[in-house]
Amino acid sequence: MLTLYKARSVITMNPSMPRASAVLVRDGNILEVGEPERMQPWLEGQQFTVDEQFADKIICPGFIDPHLHPSMAAVLLPMEFITAMRWKLPWGDVEPVTDPTAFDTRMQALHRSKPAEEPLFIWGYHQLWHGEMDKARIHQISDQRPIIVWHRSFHELYMNDPAMSMAGIDPAQIKPGLQIDIDEGHFFEVGLGFAINRLNPWILAPEKYAEGLRRLKQVVHHGGHTSIGDLATGMFNLDAEAKALTEQLEGDDVSFRTRLVVHGTRLTQGGRKPEEGPTMAADLLRHNSHRLSFGRHIKLFSDGAFFSQLAQMQEPGYVDGHHGEWLAAPEELERHIRAYWHAGYQIHVHVTGDLGLELTLDILQKMQDEKPRFNHGFTFEHFGFSTPEQIRRIRALGAQVSANVYYLHELSDSYAKSGIGYERASQMARIGSCFAAGINTTVHSDFTMAPAEPLNSMWVAVNRINHGGQVMGAAERLTQQQALEAITINAAHTIGMADITGSLRAGKRADFTVLDDDPLNCDPMTLRDIGICATVFEGRVFPIP
Amino acid sequence: MSNDAANSDSIPITLIGGYLGAGKTTLINKLLSHPALPSGTAVLVNDFGDINIDESLIRSESDDGTVIGLSNGCICCSISDDLSKALDALREMPVKHVILETSGVAEPLRVWRHCHYPGFTPKAAVVLVDASNHAKRSQDKYVGSLVRAQVEQAHLLVLSKTDLNPDFEINRLIPQLSNQDPDLINTLLGWHRASDKSAIEPASSLLPAFRAYTWRQAQDISQALLTDVLSALDESVHRVKGLVATQDAGVLLIDRVGDSLKMRCYTQSAKPGHLGLVFICRSSSSDEMHNAASGRGISSIASQITRLNASN
Repeated sequence: MLTLYKARSVITMNPSMPRASAVLVRDGNILEVGEPERMQPWLEGQQFTVDEQFADKIICPGFIDPHLHPSMAAVLLPMEFITAMRWKLPWGDVEPVTDPTAFDTRMQALHRSKPAEEPLFIWGYHQLWHGEMDKARIHQISDQRPIIVWHRSFHELYMNDPAMSMAGIDPAQIKPGLQIDIDEGHFFEVGLGFAINRLNPWILAPEKYAEGLRRLKQVVHHGGHTSIGDLATGMFNLDAEAKALTEQLEGDDVSFRTRLVVHGTRLTQGGRKPEEGPTMAADLLRHNSHRLSFGRHIKLFSDGAFFSQLAQMQEPGYVDGHHGEWLAAPEELERHIRAYWHAGYQIHVHVTGDLGLELTLDILQKMQDEKPRFNHGFTFEHFGFSTPEQIRRIRALGAQVSANVYYLHELSDSYAKSGIGYERASQMARIGSCFAAGINTTVHSDFTMAPAEPLNSMWVAVNRINHGGQVMGAAERLTQQQALEAITINAAHTIGMADITGSLRAGKRADFTVLDDDPLNCDPMTLRDIGICATVFEGRVFPIP
Repeated sequence: MSNDAANSDSIPITLIGGYLGAGKTTLINKLLSHPALPSGTAVLVNDFGDINIDESLIRSESDDGTVIGLSNGCICCSISDDLSKALDALREMPVKHVILETSGVAEPLRVWRHCHYPGFTPKAAVVLVDASNHAKRSQDKYVGSLVRAQVEQAHLLVLSKTDLNPDFEINRLIPQLSNQDPDLINTLLGWHRASDKSAIEPASSLLPAFRAYTWRQAQDISQALLTDVLSALDESVHRVKGLVATQDAGVLLIDRVGDSLKMRCYTQSAKPGHLGLVFICRSSSSDEMHNAASGRGISSIASQITRLNASN
């Protein structure tokens, strides 16, 4: 059965034919992109349908987020969001809440909307916007219902008395000097671990987790994605995650495919040598199903969390003189990279600071000296801080970049004031230079670090406007064409799926994102507000209500 | 680092830190098979990977493979990056003391803070230093600041691979031992974080068997006084080490082990950054610290430190 999709315009991301007006699809694959009158040879003597539902819409290649974390998202998504930034979620937009009173009002409204006994989990609190939090403040909302307020960074939380008794935490047992301030109901660092271990029955219960993955499925669909990358499968537990993902993200109702990239150091934890990793990772390929597939990809880690200012920075470092952290000893990172490099893998390394990037570049240089490889796809993930000189090295070594450009929107303002100074803060996510250097460059959300909305990532990359409305690093802005490449064909290259998706041409899967407006010709400030009316995954339409 | 007293009923945690390759695993292996390891000790390691437990010592293994019970009444657990989970698991077991191997890239102070966990309290941060390449590594572009911080934050340094670099010294007022020291395991198990000269505290209820006391030199003294002070210490003072500036003999390098005192001229051109002495004091039984005769080691050190200060 053939279907001819007509559109106001088709943006192909195929540079040889950038625009068309129709796409002809058979069994989920594209037969031809172009003008209907030239498609006769396919249609003669065949049954076919002309589908006009997108006749006044723009068809783009299906969007791709090459780096997010379904398992982490599944924990967070059942919670209520109160955030300083806007989050568009399928069950409703989360409007920014930027002052303490508004935060309390929203908590109150959520409290009133819930059945009496149900615990209320809130995520997104940040003192910068929402003022100091403590138990007494939560008690003003309710001292009956368990309420847990989670910090935007995930690294701390606050609970009221009912929440503590629900979790079985006896304040009398908590002595001073711990990373718990029991009077304020505040749990941080290892104290957070203490709290989580006791809240697990509510946040990690199988039915909660499944509910979280169902919500993730909606989020991915509503963002307009038809492919995503799970960039650390096995971060909690490989078997449990694989089982849950198979139950929730495989099946006819799932509107996207997932490239699973296994967490390299977790894979060989427990007494296996890194050198055994490539064989163990290759063994995972036999579990591949239609929508869920491992490839010859591996995820490794260099330096600490960007949101916690633990990125490793070159001189002059942080204003307050603190240092970032390594997630593995440089020698260990090198040993893992070597094992996978020699086995021919595509290696994705989490790098946040310019020192973390420098280390990883040095290791990549060594690998190229030991065993030169072309088209190896070595990818720098997150790419918070970098220098122009490092851009040249990335190009020279044949690597690519997957940037969390949203850092710039949410953090460049505060990092300029209390982090690393304006110059470097305004140049985080130096991706204009990457495009200029001809480096394959994509952007990601690292959801739930940033909203899983490719149009929002595109909006940040094109405008480089921070939450305060200032343009940061104007010279690094992308064109709309580049930004659309970033969330389609370039992302497909990064997760090793450019042969089947990322652009619209004969032979690829029929993966579309259908938009109300043209993202290449619109006012750049409206990019993130363009309506997404549907996605098409392998020829099947998934409307977005 | 306060509130030790408030947590006196908590289980003490001794941290074993140090950069990758400094000898943590070797030390843990030695510890696990050591006859002095008291029953009820839990050894937490990052990964069982390189840990080498004698088969005959293994008594049980948990279903998920993260806990191994040993026939000497101790247990060995792998923590896989989640300290809170490991410590919560230990609450269910008859544990009296925890030895925690930190990751090679951890700053001891950060892990120390994490050891203030309900039911637990940090006791000492022991850091291993690789004598064969510490000098180079502490200047490394990537890990130099980390390796220096690890040393600065230690309460006891254990020098490894000293055979490859016998003259290696860390010129800091931090107590240090060689990993060849015959008393290494006892010292480590009994170590309690050092006190400063100003704070010669009474022993806490943790009953430490080993402690260090530090005298920071403010003004030059005579060599005669120094010699006198060092020979007046009683036998419970296990070790004295440091650099002292004298009025008559320049800067002297002091190294006293038991009765044997070595005093040499400090000849390096660079001015020493730290002047003073570290006294390592041991008591044959922990109770000794409490009774009157007990505190001999401590009071001996206290009175000698007073003499040194009074000379100023």
